[in-house]
Amino acid sequence: MRPFSYSSARTLDEAIGLLGAGARPLAGGTDLLPLMKADLGHFDRLVDIKRLAALPRRIEENGEGVVLGALATLSELAASPTLQERYRALAQAADAAATPQLRNMATLGGNLLQRPRCWYFRHSRIPCWLKGGENCPARDGENREHALFGDAPCVAVHPSDPAAALLAFDADVRLVGRAGERTLALSDFLRLPSDRRRVETSLAEEELVSAVRLAPHPPETKSIYLKAMDRKVWAFALVSVAAVLRLAERRIAHARIVLGGVAPIPWRAHAAEAALVGEAAGAEVFERAAQAALEGARPLAGNGYKLPLARALVRRALGELADAA
Amino acid sequence: MRREPEHGVVGRPHPRIEAPDKVTGRARYSADVRLPGQLQARILRSPHPHARVVGVDTGAAAALPGVRAVISSADAPAIRWYEKSLLFDTTLRFAGDEVAAVAAETEEIAEDALRLIRVEYQPLPFNVSLEDGARGEADVYRRGDAARGLREAEVVVEQVYTTQTALHNALEPHGCVAAWEGERLVLYESTQGVFSVRDGVAEALGLAKDAVRVVTPHMGGGFGAKQIAWKHSVIAALLARRAGRPVQILLERDAENLAAGNRNATRQRVRLGARRDGTLTAVEARILMQVGAYSAGGESSAVAGIYSTLYRCANVHTEQVQVFTNTGPAIAFRAPGYAEGAFGLESAMDELARALRMDPIELRLRNYAERHQEKDKPYTSPESLRRCYERVKEASAAFERQHRGKRRRGIGFAAGDWIAGSGSPPGYAWVRLEDEQHATVITGAQDIGTGTRTALCQVAADELGLPLENVSIQIGDSGAGPYGPTSHGSTTLATLGPAVRAAAEAARENRHGEGARGPNPQGKAVRTCGAQCAQVEVDLETGEITVLRLAAAHDCGLVVNPLLVDSQVLGAVTQGVGFALFEERRVDRASGLVLNANLEEYKVPTAADAPEVRNVTLSMPDLEANVLGSKGIGEPPIIPAAPAIANAVFDAVGVRIRDLPLLREKLLEALGR
Repeated sequence: MRPFSYSSARTLDEAIGLLGAGARPLAGGTDLLPLMKADLGHFDRLVDIKRLAALPRRIEENGEGVVLGALATLSELAASPTLQERYRALAQAADAAATPQLRNMATLGGNLLQRPRCWYFRHSRIPCWLKGGENCPARDGENREHALFGDAPCVAVHPSDPAAALLAFDADVRLVGRAGERTLALSDFLRLPSDRRRVETSLAEEELVSAVRLAPHPPETKSIYLKAMDRKVWAFALVSVAAVLRLAERRIAHARIVLGGVAPIPWRAHAAEAALVGEAAGAEVFERAAQAALEGARPLAGNGYKLPLARALVRRALGELADAA
Repeated sequence: MRREPEHGVVGRPHPRIEAPDKVTGRARYSADVRLPGQLQARILRSPHPHARVVGVDTGAAAALPGVRAVISSADAPAIRWYEKSLLFDTTLRFAGDEVAAVAAETEEIAEDALRLIRVEYQPLPFNVSLEDGARGEADVYRRGDAARGLREAEVVVEQVYTTQTALHNALEPHGCVAAWEGERLVLYESTQGVFSVRDGVAEALGLAKDAVRVVTPHMGGGFGAKQIAWKHSVIAALLARRAGRPVQILLERDAENLAAGNRNATRQRVRLGARRDGTLTAVEARILMQVGAYSAGGESSAVAGIYSTLYRCANVHTEQVQVFTNTGPAIAFRAPGYAEGAFGLESAMDELARALRMDPIELRLRNYAERHQEKDKPYTSPESLRRCYERVKEASAAFERQHRGKRRRGIGFAAGDWIAGSGSPPGYAWVRLEDEQHATVITGAQDIGTGTRTALCQVAADELGLPLENVSIQIGDSGAGPYGPTSHGSTTLATLGPAVRAAAEAARENRHGEGARGPNPQGKAVRTCGAQCAQVEVDLETGEITVLRLAAAHDCGLVVNPLLVDSQVLGAVTQGVGFALFEERRVDRASGLVLNANLEEYKVPTAADAPEVRNVTLSMPDLEANVLGSKGIGEPPIIPAAPAIANAVFDAVGVRIRDLPLLREKLLEALGR
């Protein structure tokens, strides 16, 4: 690891003042430190924000919904009765991520900001587009784990399990920076990397994620997170699905389908949602939704299996939600 | 104090005697060694799969404060390595090949110094795949006339089976501390062969063997990859000599996975011929095996071996060709060759049983071998494999199939034999009586982690009529005990157990006894063998495979400690699950670089992946094999695991994947057809 300076900020202003080019906030450190050890992240200064009283870390419910502190750990999300009861897909996604040791350290904010796990991106000897290079070596290389959607110059997939679930709950993200606070819909916060901006979020360098808000849902809303991996646990998703469904008199009143592991950001399947809303819940309509979810997919040489896999997960998720309703 | 042996200690499920040391952290590993003035070393590795070193400039690294020694091809002694290369060669033949090394006051300084070394590389053309590599000469074995056997066959199975490059990933990486005491070298090494490291390092440095002492009190796994002297030990010794201080070197996980061995990938073209009644008329296997950039030495990988011995067949033809590629050198990995060969042979036998509509065990019994056909000798335990078949059949009787619905269940069977496991001379032990009630066992050899300490103490206690807690052991120090073998081939107990027993017997007379392993039988062959049955569930829609249960029965002769045998069976089966389902080194063809030399993307099995294992191994003392009657169990249980699982997958879903590992893409593609 290259030398860097470390500061433990006492106030939010101090932390934000210390951020900027060459600096990074340090919370759980479960992605930042490995990136630095692998010589992929070159930062002069780490600003420890773990002890900032001004950053909420609790999971709190108020009239606007549920506010998740950016410093809440994945373990805390997984164990939260509020989430287990009414935002189940999020509790399941947090629980399905990584190992218990990592979940105890990793924070929600850091989880949304983690970089892709693409083995070309993570290889210190391989230049790639996302790291500022010319080409994406995965596109014609070993790409069984890579993207079906996005049409971006990078075919890495977004690694976060909670992000897919949060997107399915129409979450928004509170950011705090020198200019004060701003709130972005998660769908605007997570962005496909582009030539101008080779990163997966719209966070500014001197900004911090302070909280994530989940909109209130009627109690009959059901949700589920399903994740397919190479082994039973402790792996990133090959494909995952976060599904939210609300029935009113057996008809589907509200639906969100978000796929993980298929694009550089969690991928909302609008066509699948459109195929569901207004229809009576049932195997046929779920099959149509599963087909629609993968419309427009452009598989690479090694990842075509993700299509039937994703369809199966969508069908299964919807089936389980309908059974539970 | 003459007493009759109680024979009450051998055969008891005694927990490992070193367990309290391990769980309390008292057990010391190479990483725990702290000698006065000890430095930390790091190795600079080739970023190219094939390149010439045009120039190395270590000046800036050497000038960095805290750096105490630097070595590279520019100034290293010309020490022969890998037969045709040098310790620091100017031709680099795989990504991860050693370029230079630094010893410094701290790890961080050593790493900073590596970044200051300027190397000019001239990249050279490379190949990294089994198909493209340079082929060596074929190693051919013939018995009878396989071509005629195939012509006379009523049913022929002809298929190609492939296995992947697998990485050992022992929990503890390779590493040592090298300390000079005058002209003598002490290495605190993580090795499964203290004498093999001693001999290899002594030869490299031009020292007498007794000028090198190798100490391994405990180690965190080797699985075959720690059975030779690797470069890091000699590099540490050279740096320590230059710096005049002890040097510790521990391989990082990526170095471990690039440059410290792997299980060779294989391609096996198999033809089996049989009569309608199942009698084999021919076995033919043409095998390519990817050995990487160099032959690293140690135990050889005999992929063809199992084809010629497991079944009775008059007509056998095997060919084994080594393929050299610009990838890290292969080295023995738990049942080297046999785990790979068994996937080919036992998958083909399953296909043959299906073609003949025969029960898979029935087919195997029809072709039961009671003799070692290559050596033309009867086995010392001719009936043991039959017993294993019976035991496994019983233990798996309740494994049910499910051929309806989205989650199918199937059952698969496979067998295996293992070339070694008999042990052999030389191997020596001493037993010293401290008083009437206490004894100490002494041998130079190490405990690879299988429980050698405990088992040898049980043998001594049994012979001396003492309770186990009154027997202690000194082990893992080439300078403090008599010669013992490298722990490879599942031979340690079968070699040293009889020596310990002989020493204990002698000690009863004289308070100090020396024991030697006697010869193996002349007119007979010793084998270890076993059979397994797996039950899997396959999700037709997602391609997910779950190994639910696995029954295993093995012949390891006399079971000295059933807990230790359970551990080996559980560990080997779990490693077999990884080999069957997801472990695979990935190399980028464009750059020649390994993409998953880490524990995140190279997936080893977790507890959640391990099936419920029913180990129904019987104690079957093989007293013709050696006076103790014990044989090895460390490696054999991995041999049938992968084919049993693959055969169960076929049984569940009716599609056969002949290419390991059984990843979802292969299964979903086959199911979609």
